Amino acid sequence: MNEKNAISELFAKPLDPTYAMIIIAIANGFFFAIVEAWTVGGGEGAMTGLLAQALFGPTLAERLPFWSGRTVYISPFYWKIFISLGMCFGSFVAAVLSKEFFIRMPKKMSEWVLITVGGLLMGIGIRLALVCNVSTFFGATPQLSLAGYFAIIGILAGAYVGSMIYQKIMEM
Amino acid sequence: MELYHSVDVTLWGSIVITFFFGSLIGFLFQRSRFCNASALRDAILFKSFRNTKPLLVGMMITTFIFTAWVSVGQGNMINLKAGLYTVVGLFLFGIGMILAGACTVTTWVKAGEGNIGAWWALLFTFIGMFLYSFIWNDLRWPMEEILLTNSPRWEVFHFGYGNAQTIQEQTGIPAIFFGLLQIGALGLIYKKILDHEKKVRKHKEKAIPEIGIGC
Repeated sequence: MNEKNAISELFAKPLDPTYAMIIIAIANGFFFAIVEAWTVGGGEGAMTGLLAQALFGPTLAERLPFWSGRTVYISPFYWKIFISLGMCFGSFVAAVLSKEFFIRMPKKMSEWVLITVGGLLMGIGIRLALVCNVSTFFGATPQLSLAGYFAIIGILAGAYVGSMIYQKIMEM
Repeated sequence: MELYHSVDVTLWGSIVITFFFGSLIGFLFQRSRFCNASALRDAILFKSFRNTKPLLVGMMITTFIFTAWVSVGQGNMINLKAGLYTVVGLFLFGIGMILAGACTVTTWVKAGEGNIGAWWALLFTFIGMFLYSFIWNDLRWPMEEILLTNSPRWEVFHFGYGNAQTIQEQTGIPAIFFGLLQIGALGLIYKKILDHEKKVRKHKEKAIPEIGIGC
């Protein structure tokens, strides 16, 4: 088998998610020792703040103190932003190597509506709780944090309600 | 020369490490099709645990490593505060995650695959965060001094923070002991899933329809 075929073989079928999570969990363990635990919501908050500042000007924090930097750290060099950018880049590389990269979009209007409502709820939820799903399962709870256990109660209840709505939609 | 000296090596070092860490996650998520939203949704609706088992394994390993670090005085704790807002926030997030068909990680991963729906979800996650800053301005900001304190304030359902480090300090017992208890609890859930799968092995698994971004 030549080198090209070996690479094609490697990317021909999906990786077992358990193996993927074992590698990620070990990497997260070292990341916790060097920087902090893996998180996504904090970087998204910083990106939102940067975009809002670009759109509404540098006086944004005077009008909305939320963006003053106390609850959300706003800097283009904030390390949490680079986790998100890295995830997008890593996925892009994997998709290209496995020939799975192509532009696709939801076909039905109902899917656009669901994604819009879902995105809004995720954004509001993350900032209200100051925790996202990644911090819940791979940050706070493994640190035996009370916030992590509260977050698990919330996300399980939300996922249950969301699943019921999803089921209704599938039956329509 | 002056510009060279103004570069913070620690800052750039953390950015490089972080980007590499994120890339590894993105790569593995894309290749494994793992998704947090489907880990919960498929378990609830279809009794399919393909993504639930890796989630539990990931939590068990992370718990072991984190509490081991804390036991030897290492690790960078987040010290998140807990309150009613934590439960409500994640409740809203949980609904949103299922409706969008992706969690925070898979929106970035699907965006990297060229999924326009994922970019749309990210845009509205940002808009949701921005809209929340208006709510925060009127409701939460006046209470922020209370909510940012570490001590419980029962009247506003704020419970401060507690974690492996505080438990270790208060009990004198190494955090790894409590970590192992948590791993045991997660292991029991994992075993329940395996028992369930043994029972239904003879039946073919139902095909799970895709919705939203499609995880």
